[in-house]
Amino acid sequence: MGKIQNQIFSSYQRDPVLYDEIFNNKGEIKDIYSRLFELYGGHSIKEYVHLNDKAKSSFFNQGITFQVYGEKESTEKIFPFDLFPRIIDPNEWDIIERGAIQRSRALNLFLWDIYHEQKIIKQGVVPLDLISSSANYLDQMIGLDPPGKIYNHISGTDIIKHNDGKYYVLEDNIRCPSGVSYVICNRTALKRALFGVFNHYNTHTVTNYAENLLDLLETVKPNGIDIPNVVVLTPGMYNSAFYEHSYLAKTMGVELVEGRDLFVENDFVYMKTTRGPERVDVIYRRVDDAFIDPLEFKPDSALGVPGLFAAYKKGNVTLANAPGTGVADDKAIYTYMPDIIKYYLDEEPILNNVHTYHCSKPDELKYVLENISELVIKPVDEAGGYGISIGNRLSKEQIEKVKAEVKAEPRKYVAQPIMSLSVHPTYIDDSESFEQRHVDLRTFTILGKDKEFVLKGGLTRVALKRGNLIVNSSQGGGSKDTWVLKE
Amino acid sequence: MEYNITYYCENSYKNPVSGAHWQFLVIPLEDDTQKIETISCENSLWEKEEYSINGFGFKTLRIKTSKTFSKVTFTVRLKLWKEDINPFNFTPESNPTDSFDILDRLDFKTDHQSFLKSNKLTTLIKNERFSYTFSKDLSIFQNLQNLNNFLFEHLTFQTNQTSVITTLDEVISKQKGVCQDFAHLFCALGRANGVPTRYVSGYLHQGNGYFGDSQMHAWVESFIPTIGWVGFDPCNGILAATDYIKVAHGRDYNDCPPIKGVLFTSGENATRYKVQVESAQQ
Repeated sequence: MGKIQNQIFSSYQRDPVLYDEIFNNKGEIKDIYSRLFELYGGHSIKEYVHLNDKAKSSFFNQGITFQVYGEKESTEKIFPFDLFPRIIDPNEWDIIERGAIQRSRALNLFLWDIYHEQKIIKQGVVPLDLISSSANYLDQMIGLDPPGKIYNHISGTDIIKHNDGKYYVLEDNIRCPSGVSYVICNRTALKRALFGVFNHYNTHTVTNYAENLLDLLETVKPNGIDIPNVVVLTPGMYNSAFYEHSYLAKTMGVELVEGRDLFVENDFVYMKTTRGPERVDVIYRRVDDAFIDPLEFKPDSALGVPGLFAAYKKGNVTLANAPGTGVADDKAIYTYMPDIIKYYLDEEPILNNVHTYHCSKPDELKYVLENISELVIKPVDEAGGYGISIGNRLSKEQIEKVKAEVKAEPRKYVAQPIMSLSVHPTYIDDSESFEQRHVDLRTFTILGKDKEFVLKGGLTRVALKRGNLIVNSSQGGGSKDTWVLKE
Repeated sequence: MEYNITYYCENSYKNPVSGAHWQFLVIPLEDDTQKIETISCENSLWEKEEYSINGFGFKTLRIKTSKTFSKVTFTVRLKLWKEDINPFNFTPESNPTDSFDILDRLDFKTDHQSFLKSNKLTTLIKNERFSYTFSKDLSIFQNLQNLNNFLFEHLTFQTNQTSVITTLDEVISKQKGVCQDFAHLFCALGRANGVPTRYVSGYLHQGNGYFGDSQMHAWVESFIPTIGWVGFDPCNGILAATDYIKVAHGRDYNDCPPIKGVLFTSGENATRYKVQVESAQQ
């Protein structure tokens, strides 16, 4: 364990096995962080705590809170935030950005294909079972052409840095990915607390997200519309991401609506206003597929708009993201992403996928059985972390048991190498000091007709519990401002 | 053949309803064999009717209310021309083996995946009495006909034993059911044998002079390679012919219920349907 000479880092414990984002393996500060390290080092830990508290109250004052479902006291919480930002250098960012666009484009082409000719399945690249057994494949989308041929207008790509120093994608979220408002609010809070540090770094802005999103939504307007009327459709104020819905509507300068504010007549969608009905052309909907139209999907949904899907099918309104995108962010589809990218784009994947061994293939099964202690074994059809075995935490007897299960039903299992998320110094309230915590990065990519944009920043999520790898806010995760530097 | 069809539906509610949306899937499909000549719709609330197309491409009739009510009736009257169909009028499969080979092809399975997978109402837990395996020595058409007869003989038509949410396992243990249950079971067994099969909702002309609380009918269509979709009615043990007037098809009942509604009310409600199908010429 190396010790670092800096006032606020005086008690920082560095575990050399982990990949630290700001210190190299000799314990030296990385170049890109050195100026920040000096600037922050000028403060005592007391001063830092004081500033951090101020930043937190800025979150409360802005109303940026969330609620955890199912907790006894449903108090509003702020998303834990700390003032020490994460910095990404331009070369690394270039890889992330090109990689995120590549994945979004490939997923979009994949969605078009599986709702039209289904060539990738007929040619045996992706197994039919994955599509036909997916609860998220919408038969109503078969043969339907979404405006601009875009399905996943907004993608949230979850990326980690492994201890080999390379970026890996863990998940593509292309239903209603959330979190972008935190990216912007984290920046605002940091600017309020420590404005001066921005003078020493040439950082890309993140406040241009809303304007880019609005531009994008306008590129996928229905045919025959000149300037489209765009709205944000929210499930309502009790939704955990309601703040984000209102933030996006406000910053795009468009109306925030609930299902009951809209109605459909003759297959056109209208918004009720004090000046009478107003036609709506593009809906950025943050309501899940099953709930958007009770006449077409879940009949007891009170969140949707009766007749909305028929208006969409007729081409009179655009829904972003398109219904039925969820089929492409299933866990099982993830494992085929490298093949999907090669198939549609004829390119090598820019960002790594965590390699997946399909036990149904005999040579991969052999590898899995021989290297089981270095792998995570997952059942293909279970969600929520059930039935997962982590090879290096199993006893000898358990290893034999898992091997026997895999051998008995190889089709049921896949295996992946054990990934180690990088760590970043994070201020911890309880110990009043900086400690290593695992981080990931959610990037936001938007895809329009002849337009693509990746927000130069992203949400760095921190697993606040020591040793924990789960970064979700509902699981006690926090976040950091994320700086992408200009060349 | 020309038919006069009347669909009537009456809904009454214990508590007043402040708002409602209804969507009816009761208008016959138009294709080479069926054409609507005239159609008229009315409702007791004098609300405007709208025609639309649902997610599966079938014509719907929609009504939304603007005032409070506790009872409402809907009537759809239409005149339909239907081509005289001889259900046996097709070129039979030349060789059963070739047909079964086509069923096995990946591109065939992919194109027909919607009607090959089991869903909520067509899921069959392995049951010895009701497993039904096609014979490779017979044509697919012959196999489907045998399946049709098998269901007709093994299940008894009886109302009030099952509902639209009854699972197939319940139907099998009771050995009783209505046309939906026969159709769902046919779908399950046809699909289990690799033959794309879809649930069909529509009207059955049962002979003139037949009045009363007749309901919409349900049967199935199976896709036979080189022939196409062929209709079977396991509830009557026959092939779907001229007197079968199709409205819609789907993976199961849930894709094509005659009426769907979103209501702002509480408390109990009651629904009555009446369907009448008469042939215009005697």
